Amino acid sequence: MSAILDLKGLEVSFDGFKAVSGLDLSVGEGELLCLLGANGAGKSTTLDLICGKTLPTAGTIRFRDRDITEVHEFRRARLGIGRKFQVPTVFRELTVEQNLEVARSEYPGVLSTLRRLGVRRCDRLEEVLELVGLTSKRRAQASELSHGETQWLEIAMLVMQDSQLILMDEPTAGMTIAETSRTCELFNRLRGRHTLVVVEHDMSFVREIAERITVMHQGQVLAEGGVTDIENNEAVREAYLGSRGIAHA
Amino acid sequence: MSQKWLLPLLGYVAFSVAILSVPAMVGDNVFLLNKYARYLALALPAVALALCWGQAGILNLGQGFSFGIGAYAIAMHLKLVASASNPGGLPDFMGWNNVGALPWFWEPFHSLGFAVLAGIGVPVLLASLLGWFMFRARIAGVFVAIITLAMLVVGNLLVVDQQRYTGGLNGMTDLAWLNVLGLQIDPYSRAFYYLTAGSLIAVLMAGFVLVRSKFGLILQAIRGNPERVRYFGYDVARYQSVAFATSAGVAGIGGMLYAMVLEFASPTFMAVPLSLAFVIWCAVGGRQSLLAAAIGAVVVNAIQGSLSEAFLDTAQLLVGGIFVLVVLFLPRGLGGLVEDTATRLHGAGARLRRGREAVEKSVDLPVKRGEVAK
Repeated sequence: MSAILDLKGLEVSFDGFKAVSGLDLSVGEGELLCLLGANGAGKSTTLDLICGKTLPTAGTIRFRDRDITEVHEFRRARLGIGRKFQVPTVFRELTVEQNLEVARSEYPGVLSTLRRLGVRRCDRLEEVLELVGLTSKRRAQASELSHGETQWLEIAMLVMQDSQLILMDEPTAGMTIAETSRTCELFNRLRGRHTLVVVEHDMSFVREIAERITVMHQGQVLAEGGVTDIENNEAVREAYLGSRGIAHA
Repeated sequence: MSQKWLLPLLGYVAFSVAILSVPAMVGDNVFLLNKYARYLALALPAVALALCWGQAGILNLGQGFSFGIGAYAIAMHLKLVASASNPGGLPDFMGWNNVGALPWFWEPFHSLGFAVLAGIGVPVLLASLLGWFMFRARIAGVFVAIITLAMLVVGNLLVVDQQRYTGGLNGMTDLAWLNVLGLQIDPYSRAFYYLTAGSLIAVLMAGFVLVRSKFGLILQAIRGNPERVRYFGYDVARYQSVAFATSAGVAGIGGMLYAMVLEFASPTFMAVPLSLAFVIWCAVGGRQSLLAAAIGAVVVNAIQGSLSEAFLDTAQLLVGGIFVLVVLFLPRGLGGLVEDTATRLHGAGARLRRGREAVEKSVDLPVKRGEVAK
């Protein structure tokens, strides 16, 4: 498996506090990687670094063999990096269909959007609506959706964007158990087609979807491996509140 | 989708027909026609504001800057035409200010084409520049309002200060009539009214398409959450700059028509009160729709016009009161009120239909609707 994303020696500090220090991480093409770690371990900051929201003070980021360390956010998106935020951020005043149209950004230039209609029907749109179960709500305003539906809409937007690499920050935050299990199904349908990096706290969800887990601690990689390796790892247990282990975290 | 297009389009067409049929109704009362043409000219900066504020969320408090540049560009041309018989073709105010020869930057304004191009192009260019710097630096919200306001004040000071070239506080008066292909267009005439109405309709129709294009959708998305739009690969700063510059061009057209309808250009066009008035008209009409903003401008001006005839200065107070009431009770303006009513009626109709269908399904009559009559 060739690496699609390669982080080397990344460092970021906010007012002297090192949120990420000396981070090395590599993600293979088509892989689903889970990032675990206690609050403040630097997980979200890592995603911010990859999508360009935060610039590193040291180190390099390579995406598909290209150095993107200094590349502007919207250009990284055009290269194929999509991001889902922790707080669901959809366009609340637009309809579900319109949200997906914004996400469909194969031609993002001003001149090409001027020549196109506001919402264009196509098979892909139907497919994606079906995938997240929002077909019947296509004309509803995003502000009318439930919390779970809003999360799915944002995931649907990332699928619509068709990014090779999708970064997800706590996709199941605030979801009911039923909603979480539907999200699991969704992820299983995404894997393979997209490379996913998922930050998640919900261990049962991680067990369900993860192939490989990377545990972060104080801005560095603490451990890497499969689900059982990580659950039995002493250092991870230490880092996660004493010895009860992350199974209960 | 077709429904979403159809209803608003009907509104635009109805408005166009209405303003085009005004001359037939007022007959030969050219004073009234001139007054209505003035209202229509003032609708343009309100439409411009609806475009950048209502769609893209950029509150431009200095719309008068572009409006004023448009007004001065056409006034320079008309002033030169009016001064043709003066010694050296020099405008009167330059003589009073001891200017010996026509300044170089006045020369091209002998051409009407150049003046019109400048009236639109200069605001577009300046707005692009300012927009580029502002939006690259991710300046947003109230800071944009402050910067645009500051730009307006600078423009106003410059015009007043450079009396030798601009006529200073007096502005440019005694302008000639517009002369298009040998045809003199009296601002107190049907022809001029149609010119103004036609310009407004053209801008509204172009705006109608723009708002419903994907470009318009991206602007609305940027208004909601610029950061999110950026992570889908759109160059947000460029979109904002284009919206800001387009809006400036529309305001420039409005300024040109306004200077012609009043037959003078004055620094008050670039004064703060007028630019704030644009915001009020836009808000009263409803900033989310270009048509609503245009209607807002016409309605507020008409009210202000008739009240000031009856109450003189008290009229300002009454107009202010109307604004306060609209902001308090109709935050989306008159356009929002119409939209909500339409949605409610549509919703009630749909509920009624669903109810009837449910009843028909549950009853299961052996005879179907319409069969009894046969």
